[in-house]
Amino acid sequence: MNIVPTIGMETHVELKTNSKMFCRCHVLDTDNPNESLCPTCLGLPGSLPVPNKKAIEFITLLALSTNCSITSDGMFHRKNYFYPDLPKNYQISQFDLPVGTEGSLEIVVDGNFSTVEIERVHMEEDTGKSTHIGSGRIDSATSTHLDFNRAGIPLVEVVTKPLIKSSKEAVSYIEELRQLVIDLDISEGRLEKGNLRFDANISVAFQGDKELGTKVEIKNMNSLKSLEKAIEYEIARQSKMLENKEDIIQETRHWDEKKEVTTSMRSKEGSADYRYFSDPDIPNMILNEEFVAQIRNNMPVLPSQKRKIFIDSGLSIEDANNLGKSATWIGDLYNSVSTITEDSKTSFNWITGELQGQLRKLEKNSLPTWLTPENLSSIIKLVKDNKVSFTSGKEILAKLIEEDINPEEFAISNKLIQENDIDEISKLVKEVIQDNKEVLERIVNGEEKLIGFLVGQIIKLSGGKVNPSVAKELLLKEIN
Amino acid sequence: MTDKINIQNVAKLAAIKLTNEEEQKLEKDLSMIIDHFAALSDMELPDGNISIHPLGLPLNLAEDTAFKFLSHEEALSNAPESKDGQFVVPPSLD
Amino acid sequence: MTNYKLSISKINELFKNKDLKPSELYDEVFERAASTESIIHGHLTLFQDENIKKAIDSDKRYADGEELGVLDGIPIAIKDNINISGHATTCSSKMLSNYISPYDATVISRLKKQGTLFTGKTNLDEFAMGSSTENSAYGPTKNPWDPSRVPGGSSGGSAAVVSAGSAIASLGSDTGGSIRQPASFCGVVGFKPTYGTVSRYGLVAFASSLDQIGPITNNVEDAKLIFNSMKGQDPLDATSIKETNVPQPKTENAKIGIIKELMEDGISEDAKLEVHKVAKLLESQGHEIVEVSLPITKMSISIYYLIAPAECSANLSRFDGVRYGNRISGSTSYEMMEATRAAGFGSEVKKRILLGTYALSAGYYDAYYGQALKARAMMKKEFTSVYKDVDYLISPTTPSDPFKFGEKSDNQLEMYMSDLCTIPANLVGMPAISIPTGLSSNGLPLSVQIMSPANTDNTLLDFSQSLEEIVSFSEVPSMIGDKK
Repeated sequence: MNIVPTIGMETHVELKTNSKMFCRCHVLDTDNPNESLCPTCLGLPGSLPVPNKKAIEFITLLALSTNCSITSDGMFHRKNYFYPDLPKNYQISQFDLPVGTEGSLEIVVDGNFSTVEIERVHMEEDTGKSTHIGSGRIDSATSTHLDFNRAGIPLVEVVTKPLIKSSKEAVSYIEELRQLVIDLDISEGRLEKGNLRFDANISVAFQGDKELGTKVEIKNMNSLKSLEKAIEYEIARQSKMLENKEDIIQETRHWDEKKEVTTSMRSKEGSADYRYFSDPDIPNMILNEEFVAQIRNNMPVLPSQKRKIFIDSGLSIEDANNLGKSATWIGDLYNSVSTITEDSKTSFNWITGELQGQLRKLEKNSLPTWLTPENLSSIIKLVKDNKVSFTSGKEILAKLIEEDINPEEFAISNKLIQENDIDEISKLVKEVIQDNKEVLERIVNGEEKLIGFLVGQIIKLSGGKVNPSVAKELLLKEIN
Repeated sequence: MTDKINIQNVAKLAAIKLTNEEEQKLEKDLSMIIDHFAALSDMELPDGNISIHPLGLPLNLAEDTAFKFLSHEEALSNAPESKDGQFVVPPSLD
Repeated sequence: MTNYKLSISKINELFKNKDLKPSELYDEVFERAASTESIIHGHLTLFQDENIKKAIDSDKRYADGEELGVLDGIPIAIKDNINISGHATTCSSKMLSNYISPYDATVISRLKKQGTLFTGKTNLDEFAMGSSTENSAYGPTKNPWDPSRVPGGSSGGSAAVVSAGSAIASLGSDTGGSIRQPASFCGVVGFKPTYGTVSRYGLVAFASSLDQIGPITNNVEDAKLIFNSMKGQDPLDATSIKETNVPQPKTENAKIGIIKELMEDGISEDAKLEVHKVAKLLESQGHEIVEVSLPITKMSISIYYLIAPAECSANLSRFDGVRYGNRISGSTSYEMMEATRAAGFGSEVKKRILLGTYALSAGYYDAYYGQALKARAMMKKEFTSVYKDVDYLISPTTPSDPFKFGEKSDNQLEMYMSDLCTIPANLVGMPAISIPTGLSSNGLPLSVQIMSPANTDNTLLDFSQSLEEIVSFSEVPSMIGDKK
């Protein structure tokens, strides 16, 4: 019997506001612990929370861009649990009236479109950072050190419906969400900095089963690679148990990066009792039509819209998707160049292949200011029109990266222009044939390998300027 | 009469360690109070949007301007234990 | 010399006329504290050293004609659940015995700007939970009228020191009556403003939707002065409000409703008589007295004792020994927190936290907390409706005169019933004031409570001031000596 996995993703997005969610402490990126604190984010007696307007604008933007319904009369709730990195031992979050509900996100998986359904988008605050000090093993720490700089930073939690069907889909979803928050300019979106953190909820069931299996939460996946591996591992683990009729425990498991397995965390079966209640320190949050309209009217270009523009210009879904996930200047360059050259595929290949490759080798990640779409387009045109060979084209590009040159002039002055004139080349072909009668005999008798030799002679005779494929074509014509 | 209150469970949720004596007294006291609530629990009351603010006023959001409040020393000034600028606690299980 | 029983405006006049200097007044007040504290134990700490300097600064300002306002040089006592930077904020709990606050509450910084002196921090029921100040971890405060009796709570210390004269006025906090009830027991004025008019930033939260800071004073005029010096929207408190224009009740020929349900069982005959006496006086002034019914007030105790503990159970979660507080060690951080909270909290606090935790826990939310919220909304409707017919409401402040120590501590429900008359004003967020009006058959102070709609604070204060005049209550505790 076929086993079908079901995945739901919970992602936390750190917003790039100036100040924290409920106080005006700086959102700092620093290694110095406990530098950006006030009575509110440190949980001192007598402190109170005041929500950050910019954070609310950012989450509304995210909710709208994922087609969510916006809750016009929402509120904040207290999520109660005790943990040392939680200053008040409750987290201000949202329970049954989140900012956004019932949304969707278009993603690309294996070159095809797919849609991920989003259950909710809500606002909450981040906790402090714990560092466990001890002998090195997870369970034998001798103490825990706490830094509260991060406590109170605005987080948006995005929860998908449990409808994702594969690790690939999950990865594509995260990639899309990351690009979205970057394009909306609400988050830096850097996984390695923890700007985007995700947990996966995974269950398995036999095909045809009406109910979903027991769901297991997987935490501690710090990269897309570990996300993929962790999901694959966990699906395999659960599938085996399902086949052997073993009970799958509802629990939270930890992805072990080194051993590449998921392990059980402390025995906490079932779900915790968070005793949610509406936070009496924060009145109802009214997001009226005017506010929502203003956010909607100022929405930047979304990844899905960029993708559509690329596809409409002639790229495949896969190429368009990858282009959208590159740095903005690459996409912008593509749009301009493909318009000038009127050749989307060639433009795409030159930009993402040769240009990016050369820049990478030189350890540059941005364009020199003189490398304009016009300049690049003229190189592309030179190669396309067979005026220079591809190799020469690469050479011209390398020079252009180095300094501000006019590609055509450079090609001419460096004798890179190919000879394409049929009459001129015919003359050379005839001359080479004349001088190599023996070789010609051997070719006629079947030694086709030697065609290459003659082409080489033609190129030599032309001083390297002849278009090799044209030369070969004419040579073959002559021979036949 | 309400269900017996599982005082140990409640104490665990509230992170307060109770002595046996305290458990017994509190179970009794709380049961008495909860019984007193019965009349309220049984009332038929209309549903409807509950406003958080007693006067039903809406939320005023704050502008996103940041400033420094507590110095590093002030933040740690009441710490029962600290090291290298961080608060120190016994190990917490993940 | 009993300058410590004069009104603020009178003292200000003396300052301005150079008949009295702030430093002289402060010396008097401090001496008064020195001689009374051993009896009443109203203050937990006294700010003697820094006040000497501050009083001298105030002297200079008056001498140069540059005083900061009417509160410049006035020594006020502060309940020890309100943060003052550089000083301990213990909330009368063992949990915070070593906690020094690094910031000022908003009301404190506003008062500081006006040159107000703070005598020190006063005793309270631990974390403001109680009606007698017997729940303080540092010993109870005694009622200046009779030290074998409670001063009321939770702002017992603040009320006692004003009554005894060791502060010109004080700040308390009121969640279910914690300003008004002790003010009544100590024979002084206590005012709880409209919810949101005075910032809660810096007040250690007990029940966030009910707490308000307010003044305890020798007379209504002082209460009005202090209220207006502190009020106003605060960007640090999301529940604080701007001054709102609403129709104001009449101060002449007003209609006043006696709340029927607060004149029934559980209220002593003395307390009822006081209300009737005041009603007659008001009628003689041309006001109209009617009886009104507010049936839901019968549910007040239940509603309050579900909402307040639920909110406090979360508000007190932060006391865990991690970042501050008296830590008791443990082998894991959870064990440390459990032990710290077990040792740091007194029994009443533990009880309310557990009650609140229970009321919010899975399966019980709808029946208890959810139900209480609905009942509260209904109470608000009833009050709003009643205020269409009357300008003010009147009731006893407390069911009886001050009780003896230990008299109610074994009967929790009876203790909770002390708040019967005061709780409604907190639940509906409306202002209420307690004014002493007479003595009981035991010779102890009795008060009446006047209430008005939200955002009518100054009108209520004006009306109460005119009532105060005709009541003409001039009794003082025997420890004071002469009558006022």
